[in-house]
Amino acid sequence: MSFELDGKTYETDDDGYLVNLDEWNEGVAGYMAEQEGIDMTEAHWEVVNFLRDYYQEYNIAPAIKILIKEMKKMFGPEKGNSAYLYDLYPAGPALQACKIAGLPKPTGCV
Amino acid sequence: MSGLTIFFVIYAYVAIAVFILGFLYRIWKFGKTPAPLKIDQTPAPTSDGGVVGRMILEVGVFKSLLKSNRIIWLFGYMFHIGLFLALLKHFRFFFAYGPGWIAYITTFEIYAGLIMLFGLIMLFVLRLVVDRTAFISVMNDYLLLILLAAIASSGLIIKHFSRTNLTTVKEFILGIVSFNPQEMPSEVMFIIHISLVFLLFIYFPFSKLMHSGGVFFSPTRNQVDNPRDRRWVNPWGKAPENIEIASNMTQDEG
Amino acid sequence: MAETADTAAEQEEVLTDQDIVTGAKEPSLKPADVKAPELTGDIQIPHLVKGAMAKSKCHAAKPETMEAMGFPGRLVDNWEEAAVKKLGELLTKYKSLQVYLDICVRCGSCTDKCQFFLGSKDPKNMPVARADLLRKVYKKYFTTEGKIFGSLAGAAKLDLELLGEWYTYFHQCSQCRRCSVFCPYGIDTAEISMAAREIMDSIGIGQKYVNTVLVKLHEIGNNLGMNPKALKATMESTEEDIQEEDGVAVKLPVDQVGAEVLLITPSADFFATPHIESLIGYAKVFHQAGISWTLSSTASEAGNFGMFIGSYEHMQKAAMRIRKAIEELKPKRLIVGECGHAWRIAYAFWNTMIGPLDNSLGLKLEYPRPQHICEYTLDLVERGAIKLDKSANDDVIPTFHDSCNVARATRMGDRPGGQFEIPRALINAACNRYVEMDSDTIKEKTFCCGGGGGLLSDEILDVRVQGAMPRMQAYHAIKEENGANFFALICAICKAQFTKVFPKYGIPMIEVGGIHQLVAKAIELGAKE
Ligand code: HEM
Ligand code: SF4
Ligand code: SF4
Ligand code: SF4
Repeated sequence: MSFELDGKTYETDDDGYLVNLDEWNEGVAGYMAEQEGIDMTEAHWEVVNFLRDYYQEYNIAPAIKILIKEMKKMFGPEKGNSAYLYDLYPAGPALQACKIAGLPKPTGCV
Repeated sequence: MSGLTIFFVIYAYVAIAVFILGFLYRIWKFGKTPAPLKIDQTPAPTSDGGVVGRMILEVGVFKSLLKSNRIIWLFGYMFHIGLFLALLKHFRFFFAYGPGWIAYITTFEIYAGLIMLFGLIMLFVLRLVVDRTAFISVMNDYLLLILLAAIASSGLIIKHFSRTNLTTVKEFILGIVSFNPQEMPSEVMFIIHISLVFLLFIYFPFSKLMHSGGVFFSPTRNQVDNPRDRRWVNPWGKAPENIEIASNMTQDEG
Repeated sequence: MAETADTAAEQEEVLTDQDIVTGAKEPSLKPADVKAPELTGDIQIPHLVKGAMAKSKCHAAKPETMEAMGFPGRLVDNWEEAAVKKLGELLTKYKSLQVYLDICVRCGSCTDKCQFFLGSKDPKNMPVARADLLRKVYKKYFTTEGKIFGSLAGAAKLDLELLGEWYTYFHQCSQCRRCSVFCPYGIDTAEISMAAREIMDSIGIGQKYVNTVLVKLHEIGNNLGMNPKALKATMESTEEDIQEEDGVAVKLPVDQVGAEVLLITPSADFFATPHIESLIGYAKVFHQAGISWTLSSTASEAGNFGMFIGSYEHMQKAAMRIRKAIEELKPKRLIVGECGHAWRIAYAFWNTMIGPLDNSLGLKLEYPRPQHICEYTLDLVERGAIKLDKSANDDVIPTFHDSCNVARATRMGDRPGGQFEIPRALINAACNRYVEMDSDTIKEKTFCCGGGGGLLSDEILDVRVQGAMPRMQAYHAIKEENGANFFALICAICKAQFTKVFPKYGIPMIEVGGIHQLVAKAIELGAKE
């Protein structure tokens, strides 16, 4: 599978996740968010950027608990919880946030 | 000896040989195929004796079937118990002087045959009318029930409506088993009955009727639940020492 | 006219056999579109809807994945012959397969027992109908009856259509063994679907989810692909969380040589929510018991998807990591975390595949090898070595879902049925208000969550949601009646599946959790008298 954006073709896997992490850019993220029906706000971007930074360092997406802890730092305690995370990404961090961040889909018993 | 007798003597020996050899071959195959892993369906007995008990309940009262579906159990059990009693009753044909208890069974033999036949008819009806069983059934499932019902019916007719001389029947059968063939009774019902029985003998080892032997080889039911206490060995499994795995087992801090 | 013919021809051309079998060119399912059936509290036996699930197919594994596992990259040209040959080989290796293909009488008593049939109404999800997809081929090529009577005996040639049905319906079986409980001969359709998947892999069509995960497990040591560095960072972060919340320095040690206990747990426990809450529970239990313990960064997975594809070789290879970890870390005891199929493999298969698990590996003989975390914790509670404050869980009314692999393929404790009693006893030790679901849906009769056996993949979310239906009905019934609001589990797959499926049924995912999550809340940390 693949999609085209601004004249460039991006390859994705069967579920629409970007195959090549390095091809990611904000345009790609914007396009994917649109597909998911998500309106990217500042908060959405912060989550995406954290996911990408974490992935660069650890080669895997962060555990949900770590993501939420980080959100506490970013948005303050009243928004640092899973309810807010699901407000931002209703289908869940793995299904939507990772996809928009250009990360591969987390698999396993999760 | 009449042509009829010659034909039936040959038919009898072929049928008996196919049945015995075929049955043994299939059982031998079940027995020799290895079971690599413990797959007993728990809760399972933790001792050999317990497994024997489990089997007795499965074979004797169809315990799992009872848990599963009372209607199939009822008709299935009627059929099998009827068949079992009818078979016992038939033993009197094999002994010059039958043991006394066979005579006892003979007193309610009519019920055995009727119960068996009724069970078979109901199994047939169930198979047809329940959409789920109708979906899974193939022609041979129906034909087998018809064959068994035909055997049961012809047997009942011989016993209760026809004038077959049971003494000549007994002589014929004793003749077969003692390799000293006797004249075949020429009564039509008997000819039908015994022809169908021999047909069943021949079909038996090739068919699902092998469940009668196979049930004892079912690993989910015949294994003891003790894998932590006693190591189960897979005859074709590699020893762990010979397994190669990825090299990152001794990797440094990534 | 000419144009349509052209495009039709073009389409014909691009659809390879592989595409037809795996449905690769069909539009894939959008998880958001999946709707759950209505909750009434009753589990009805449906009337048949033929072909209802025919189009719900898993993604096929990529050629590189297949090759990494030693399988052909794509469907081989002589697949019919190759499949039959493989079946012949398996028949000589597995008694279960040989006996079960031979002795089914099609009595029908299993037909209403599979959650995937109950949920989907597709008759090919009835266990015997599923098994018959393989049995047909067995009859055709291996039995005299099939050769003589052909379709009258239910024999059939393995053609492209049938292979497509294998791919569909053997991936709609969670290998939960519920059918086996109700079969008069214990015919275990799981064994048959494992064999079918092994055959399919051997001719080049594998399922993407399971095979990708297995490749990660072989390469990195766990299903997630979490490397040692990420694992250690996550454990440190979790230590901080506990410190912050409870003010106690509970440790989550990794790779400690000489620790008393080696804990093997599903990697989801390091990553996902609610799984990680149970991990915290285990850590607190070890802490409070005052026993040294460790995780292994290279054997960082209890799960073992080798079983799902019926591959003894892959299962053994994956399990070997654990043996190596025992050799390197030299623990005295081996404990396994909350995971259904993993406990089956640990309890029933480890000793065979990577054993003997005994003093030759330095393990102490007085403890069960391996031991389930629930066995371990309950024993501590009963001996008074740790204390649980039930009132800490007074906000929850829990029930327990018996994970099928635990319920029907393993045991805990010394007596048959301990696998039912011990988790319940532990919940009752941690909570005041336990309630039980309908007796036809628990213990050995438990329904699968709908995501086991390698089905935990989103492109078949429809299958998963339908498969969960019976369990959801039973839970719904006690929610209505008793106000149940916590669904306690001991299986990583169950946890992942239910967090996904609960919202589809309109139940908050927060109600899903592990038993050790309850323990974590109730345990009294700090100095012991
Ligand atoms: C160890 C001995 C046997 C056991 C434990 C056993 C058990 C069972 C059970 C539990 C069933 C399924 C329920 C049902 O449909 O009745 C069944 C079916 C059947 N059995 Fe047996 N059986 C035995 C021997 C035999 C023998 C010797 C025959 C025939 C000669 C036989 C003929 C059948 C047939 C035809 C069916 C299928 C019934 C149907 O089509 O629904 N069984 N058996
Ligand atoms: S219950 Fe067993 S014998 Fe009966 S149809 Fe199902 S698998 Fe076959
Ligand atoms: S093993 Fe479970 S999922 Fe598979 S057919 Fe049997 S009941 Fe259905
Ligand atoms: S995931 Fe849980 S319920 Fe489903 S098969 Fe595995 S153990 Fe059973």
